[in-house]
Formats: sequence, C-alpha cells, structure tokens
Amino acid sequence: MINELRELYRYRELLWTLVLRELRVRYKNSYLGFFWSLIVPLVTVAVLTIVFKRVMGMVIPNYSAYVLAAFLPWMYFQTALLDSSQSVLAQIQLVKKVYFPREVLPLAAVLANLIHFGLALVVFFVYLLGYVGAPLLPSVALLPVLVVFQTLLIAGLSLIISCLNVFYEDTKYIVSIGLQLMFYLVPVIYFSEQVYHAQLASPEWQRWIYLIYHLNPIAMLMTAYRKVLLPPITVQQVGVAEKQTFASLPMDWGLLAVACAASLVVFVLGYAFFNKRKWDFAEQP
Amino acid sequence: MKDAAIILEHVSKKYRLSHQPYSSLKGILLSIFRYRRRIEVHQALNDVSLTIRHGETVGLIGVNGSGKSTLLAIIARVILPTAGKVWVNGRVAPLLQLGVGFHPDLTGLENIYFNGIILGLTRQQIAERLPAIVRFAELVEFIDTPVRAYSSGMVLRLGFAVAVHTDPEIILMDEVLAVGDEAFQHKCLRKIQEFQREGRTIVLVSHDMNQVRQVASRAIWLHQGRVMADGAAEEVVDHYLQFAEEIEKQSL
Repeated sequence: MINELRELYRYRELLWTLVLRELRVRYKNSYLGFFWSLIVPLVTVAVLTIVFKRVMGMVIPNYSAYVLAAFLPWMYFQTALLDSSQSVLAQIQLVKKVYFPREVLPLAAVLANLIHFGLALVVFFVYLLGYVGAPLLPSVALLPVLVVFQTLLIAGLSLIISCLNVFYEDTKYIVSIGLQLMFYLVPVIYFSEQVYHAQLASPEWQRWIYLIYHLNPIAMLMTAYRKVLLPPITVQQVGVAEKQTFASLPMDWGLLAVACAASLVVFVLGYAFFNKRKWDFAEQP
Repeated sequence: MKDAAIILEHVSKKYRLSHQPYSSLKGILLSIFRYRRRIEVHQALNDVSLTIRHGETVGLIGVNGSGKSTLLAIIARVILPTAGKVWVNGRVAPLLQLGVGFHPDLTGLENIYFNGIILGLTRQQIAERLPAIVRFAELVEFIDTPVRAYSSGMVLRLGFAVAVHTDPEIILMDEVLAVGDEAFQHKCLRKIQEFQREGRTIVLVSHDMNQVRQVASRAIWLHQGRVMADGAAEEVVDHYLQFAEEIEKQSL
C-alpha cells in the first residue's frame, strides 16, 4: 500500500486536475453555478425546520442551525458516494488505454465534494454568527479532525463502491437506496438524545441502543459535528399525551474515538480492495 | 540489453469469459440456479517473447482477435499479463481513439490540459507547448469553444496533437490512422516519419497492409495469441496476406 500511495503522490497533479475538472463541469451550463450546491441544503433545511417545528412540535431554539450542522456533512457523505460510484465506469475508455493510478478517479470525486463541503461550512458560519448570533465555541477547533476522518471514511467507501460498480452496475442503485435508508439512521432530522430515550425497549436497554446506533461511524460523526459546532440544548417535543423533554447528553469521546478508528480501517480496507481489483478494470468487455 | 525499448518474456494473457456475464445482480442470482457456470478461459496471448529496440517502428498484424490489442495494452501497462515478464524502458504515449479522454462540455484548451496531464506532462510543460499543440491541431480560432461543437476531425486532430507533443519515447497506435481524412492521414504520416528520424520507438496495430509496408521496418504477425512471424515488414506482410487469402478460399 505504501508503494501505491507513493505512485498516487507522483500523480497528484492529475488528481488535482480531475478535481478542478469535476468542479468546472458540474456547473458549466448553469447560471447560478456553485450556488446550486448551497440552495439544495438551504431549501431542505428550511422545509425540515417548518415541518419539525410546526407539525411535529419540536421545541428547540434555532432548530435550523442544528439541522444544518448535521445536514451539510450528510450531503457531503451522500453526494461524494453517489458521484464516485460512477467515476471509474464513466472513464472506462481512458482506463483501457492509458496507465495512471486508477484510484485518482474516485478520489477526485471525493475531493471535489470536500471542496463543496468546505464552502458550505463557510456559509454555515456566516449564518451562525451573523443570523443566529450564536457564539463560536472553542470546540470548533476539533472541526478539522472530524472532516479528516469523515473524508477517510468516504474515500474508503468510494474506493469499494466505484470498483464494484465496474463489475456490477447494480452497485449504484444499491448505494442510492442504502443512502436513502441511512438518512433515517443518522441524527439529521432528530437528535441523538432522542435515540437515547427511544421507546424501542425497556429503560435498561437504552444505553445499548444508543451505543449500537453510534457504532455506525457516520452517525457518530454527525452527532460529533453538532456537539462541536453548537452549544448543548434541551430538546423538547410536544407529544400527543404529554410534553417530553430530553436533556442534552455530553459528547461520548470513547465512541468518537471508535468512529475515527473505524473510518481509518474502512479507508485502509477500501484501498486494499480497490488495489486488488484495479488492474482488472481494463479487461471488462 | 541497453538498446531495448520493450522486452516481453514468455508473456501470456488469459481472459475469463463468462457466457452469462455477471454484470448485474440478476445475472448473479440466475447463475445460482444454474447447475454449471459456463466460464471459458480465452487465451489472448500465448507465450509471447519479443524485443523491440529503441528507434524501431514495428507493425503488429493479424486477424481480429489475434491478440494485437492485448499486446499493446500490456505494453501500455493498462492490463497485467497472467504470466511472463514485461520491461518497458522509456515514456509511453498511447495515441487515443477518437474523443477518448475529452470532455464535451469543456473547451479545447481545458481538454488539452487534461489530456496532457493524463499522458504524463506537467502543467508547466503543457503551457510551454500550448502554441505548438494548437497550431498542429489547426484549431487556433476554436480553442475556447467547447469540444461538443467540434467535428470529429477536429477532435481527432486535437487528440493527436496533444499525444505527439508529450515527447514520448515509445508511441503506441491502435488503428488510430484509420479514421480521419486524407489530409489528416498525411499529416500523421509526416509526424511518424519525423519521430522515426528522431529515433523514437513506434508500435502500431493496423489492418492496412500498405500502411504497415510504408511505415514499419519490422512486422510481427500474431495468430491466436502466438507469434507466427517476426521480421522485415515486407516479408511478414506478404506471408500474412498469403495466409489470409488461403483462409478466404477455404471459407468460400
């Protein structure tokens, strides 16, 4: 793997050119260009905020900020995986003719989305400081750590998905369905505190459900984004019978460490898997 | 061997051909119910050994499916051989087929950069060679137009222009000259002759025997993955044409 990484470093200019090409192509023929990638999360969050505050009766000050803090990383996860699933197959003619480290194709898709995520975060901070007027927490310093490990997780999954999609084109459909379901298994529209108090099992099982839920690295990373970016809040939900209150839970550092380790493992395994199959791509009829 | 550009030692390549290709989930699920999986192994190259020296122009000839393109792909390091060893000494530039590596939404200029970098140039080098590339492609006034608006001849010229300006030591051509009009073909031939004078190595796959005679000094005839003949282009081409004629007679 060290040799592969060295070769990848030798081809860094190609990787960077691909990232720029990806960004340039995406908005080439649209007037609003990059703003489209902001409009989608902003509109989504606006709709979610209205539905969850007015219809579902969530009583949370600045609910939209909390949704956005988790939705932006989720968008990064989702679009990067969807983009990269087609990345190798879309360039198969080139792959059949020219030597280059094949991993640049999915990695370029991931990095292009990372840049989008970075720009979206800038807009998020403008919104947070300018509109909401929330103070910047010292824990924001941890944000780069979260971004790095999330990127490792995404890159690892992208390598696996883009590789499988060359051989089985069902992969991209499975990924798209999987992402739709996964959206409900990560804390974007609800809070991890509500998972802790989920009425799935008897109270002694609460901790276990919370634990298992957060063993999913992407779920834990979303919870971490929220806790790092925004002050803790008490979630209130106006239930049918009574008002429910969920006290804020502190960040579970142990679980976060597990999520980061898992992300690293996914990257290493994903890269190893990709390397094992990458010279078979050109043989696909 | 110091003057060798390409050495192949006992190179074999097997492809797994499945008659029910599992390119979809349905295929996999169906195959579970079938008793026997029909996977055939196709031997694309069978124990090929050859040495190509620097400065040689070698034509690879043979009927369709004889392993020419597989051989070229192995030299280009795009596929790995099943067995045997390959040494390639020098920078390889494959001449790409029409439109490969071009993005229709990007301009000619943007595509030159992408193509050049994928063929191993740096941005700096491309910037230096840009005027020469654009002039060679005869696209000075269209260089900021998206490639989707180009005619196929223009795309072809642009691709060829980038590839020949990558300063390659070894040039691989797979039927690239077959497309394009008379003027373009002449231009390509002139460039090939220039490369020959400069002592570069050229390996070309072609079905145009006159072209092989005209351009190549040496020809290698492949049949069913084996080297049938290897020698002076004239002789090998004659030999091959005789063989092709006989095959044709038999089939009549």
